[in-house]
Amino acid sequence: MSDPQVAHVAERVHAIVEDVFHALEDIRTGMEACYRSHPSFTSGDLAAVRPQIFGCLRRLHGIAAGTGVIVAPGVLADRPRWLDWWQAPPEDDPIFLDVDLDPESLDFYDYTAAEWFAVPQRTGRRHVVGPYVDYGGTDTYMLTFTTPARVDGRFLGVVGADVRAARFEALLLGVLAACPTQVTLVNAEGRVVAGNSPRLPAGSLLTREGAETERLPDPPWSVVSEARERAVKLA
Amino acid sequence: MLSAVHQLPGAAVFAPVDDGSGRVEVVVRRLAEAIALGLVADGDQLPAELELAASLNVSTVTLRAALAALRERGLVETRRGRGGGTFVRGPADPSTTRLRNRLRELSSSELREIGDYRAAIAGTAARLAALRASTDQVARLHHVVDRLEAATTVGERRRADGRFHIEVAAAAQSVRLTRAEIDIQSEVGELLWLPYGEAVDPQEVVRSHRQVIEAITVRQADRARTLTEEHLDRGTERLMEFHWRLVTQDQREWR
Repeated sequence: MSDPQVAHVAERVHAIVEDVFHALEDIRTGMEACYRSHPSFTSGDLAAVRPQIFGCLRRLHGIAAGTGVIVAPGVLADRPRWLDWWQAPPEDDPIFLDVDLDPESLDFYDYTAAEWFAVPQRTGRRHVVGPYVDYGGTDTYMLTFTTPARVDGRFLGVVGADVRAARFEALLLGVLAACPTQVTLVNAEGRVVAGNSPRLPAGSLLTREGAETERLPDPPWSVVSEARERAVKLA
Repeated sequence: MLSAVHQLPGAAVFAPVDDGSGRVEVVVRRLAEAIALGLVADGDQLPAELELAASLNVSTVTLRAALAALRERGLVETRRGRGGGTFVRGPADPSTTRLRNRLRELSSSELREIGDYRAAIAGTAARLAALRASTDQVARLHHVVDRLEAATTVGERRRADGRFHIEVAAAAQSVRLTRAEIDIQSEVGELLWLPYGEAVDPQEVVRSHRQVIEAITVRQADRARTLTEEHLDRGTERLMEFHWRLVTQDQREWR
């Protein structure tokens, strides 16, 4: 890592991501404990995890737009699918996210196919998705962080947090602004998560590899730096 | 009743079929559409086979195949014996009447407005999707079009087609375009997929969507936009034509 500016960006990304996943640990252990203590696990029992969910929202105040648990089909005795997901409006109490879980319905929220659910289920590892247009749930340009919950090898579902793409970018603003040259954070598919040049706004695709690419271990994102100046000349 | 059938606007329904290929399909579509729009009413008797085949300029073999297909869809029934013949059975779905009324009440300038807006939103979404879609998103688009192709009911087609446009807007990475596309689909989706009177032939929709996906895949932004606009314009034209047929039918009835 030759460029200290790039190193700063990488460090800041690492710190934010670890903060989010760390805050999710409480919910995960809460959910696993809840499952263990209820032989017939129902959606009502998940109320026991609410203190951890709200605690996580408080801890990630100003970062997360919502957190909660998404239960794997068949785990709850009373419902085939279930989300206990809470959104955090500024200055207000958390709001329960109500989605349509009826498979026969037009607006059926088929979360088992969503990357933030399917990948942790398949790999058993934490995952970050986005930025993406979350039109089923929140109608926001979003990053979603999820980690699997398991007991004795059984996959219970995922616990997760939503971070608005705009908020994530704002969190990186300091380190990005400090770079005089063009620096861009891209996700595994080459999509810009945040950057410091109007040439490459968040959401666009970086199709060509930059002069220098610093790969991050987890999530497998990259910081791409180019020799040209950050700013676009204004006429 | 038979006379009513002969008084159709410009006799457009039974005008010669000039399409060289897939004549059975064309006849089925023409008659199904007329029934869907109520241009031939429930209970109306169709002209005798020879006469109808002659006016459509198709062979009686083609006509019989078309009538068999319509029978299978429950749109006509054939009664044997004296007083027999082929009779129209209007779609039982009560929403058809509501949709016909809406299509009749919308003016052609309103339909044009809707078309202009759809083309602006979906055209831009397609252009940006070509610049920004990930491989996963392209795979999702293929999946939605597969669903559209396999759909057997008009409801399934409407949902899959609406989903396609919404997924393109999501692949464009735009929350606002996605929101606009969801609003458009809930406003006009039903009109575009009028039971038995689809604004654009489902197979053509599938073909067109696949071309757009191809343009998105090879990142030809302008082509993706142009293909989308052309496809939507065809749909808008058909809706305006349906509207026109419905209102001219009313004129005829008032005289």
